[in-house]
Amino acid sequence: MSVTQHCPVGPAGNVGSSVTYVFAVCGPGRPGPFAATCGHTGGGPLRLLAVGPLWAVVQDVPAVTFSETALHRRLTDAAELERCARAHHDVVTAAAAGGPTVPLPLATLYLSHERATAALGANLERFRAALGRVAGRVEWGVKVYVVESDTTARPAPSAPPETPQPGSQRVSGRAYLSRLRHRQHSRELNRESALAAAEQVDRAVREMAVGSVRHRLHGPEATGRDRTQVMNAAYLIAEERGDELATTIRRLRGSPGFDNIEIEVSGPWAPYSFTDGGELAGHQ
Amino acid sequence: MTELDTRGTPPPSTTNLAEILERVLDKGIVIAGDIKIDLLDIELLTIRLRLFISSVETAKKAGIDWWETDPALSSRAAHNALSEENQRLRERIEALAGDDAQEAHRERELRRP
Repeated sequence: MSVTQHCPVGPAGNVGSSVTYVFAVCGPGRPGPFAATCGHTGGGPLRLLAVGPLWAVVQDVPAVTFSETALHRRLTDAAELERCARAHHDVVTAAAAGGPTVPLPLATLYLSHERATAALGANLERFRAALGRVAGRVEWGVKVYVVESDTTARPAPSAPPETPQPGSQRVSGRAYLSRLRHRQHSRELNRESALAAAEQVDRAVREMAVGSVRHRLHGPEATGRDRTQVMNAAYLIAEERGDELATTIRRLRGSPGFDNIEIEVSGPWAPYSFTDGGELAGHQ
Repeated sequence: MTELDTRGTPPPSTTNLAEILERVLDKGIVIAGDIKIDLLDIELLTIRLRLFISSVETAKKAGIDWWETDPALSSRAAHNALSEENQRLRERIEALAGDDAQEAHRERELRRP
């Protein structure tokens, strides 16, 4: 069943050898709508494949650009990787808008619809369990950063006053020592308070979540040079509690000790991080 | 994805990409496909692009160790930076103490009747 009549149809939709790309498995309700997404460039229309009572969202894609060799070349190229990842993500997001959805990892591929149906069908119970866990819930990303501003590198106001005496080598030497000591000290304080703030954020968000996972911290290309990420977490939260989350984050931002702290919230995401469990609240 | 918070400047689009990649690469239910791709290669690319701070094992396989010298990212590097700074401070103190001793000696010499 084709669900995207509006998209330009690539070679795989007409002639030539194609393979089956599986984006996600959805609950018995009809997934989508897929109005704003077309899947991978050069592929056919997005289709729904029945897997028992569930639906798989699939696309026929050209075998030549989705072979092992071609994928290795394309996915280790930054620009191509981004295109593929965003195409995959757009379809997963559209599917999740229609009902419970379990995403599959990037580039899950089968030689035919039949082979895809067989492989997915063999995992039907895993999909059912995962769909039950994520139904009515969404994933929110919460990231905490410490801002490494110039001001934090200067001595705290409580630092002993430096008494510069022009012409005196000894005093300016001591001032130099004092400055270094205070800079180091304030850097350490900054870092400690950032970790404490992150713990506070995590505790507060967990209270409304049914699951939480920590992702790897982002590097400088993703965060920007002037801040360091100290927490990158995802939470599985009931759909209707989005406003509550926003309120909690607003309250935390205004709390004491959050002066150099940035909290970023992203979502709602399809429940990528919770299809294979995730730490459940109350089970720690 | 929409950012919940609309205050301040929007984060760079790479933030978004890192968030998407960390989800589409190793999350979701993994079932064996007919065509095998090595997601480790992609992870290494994203680490090389500095989108993620890698697990040490993964990165060492690829000979990536830039964070070990970046104080903002590594407690080990921070420790090294601290040791170096300590060493510099000790040297400075010794130099200053030496100056003090010499000067005190000179002053004593001058005060002698």
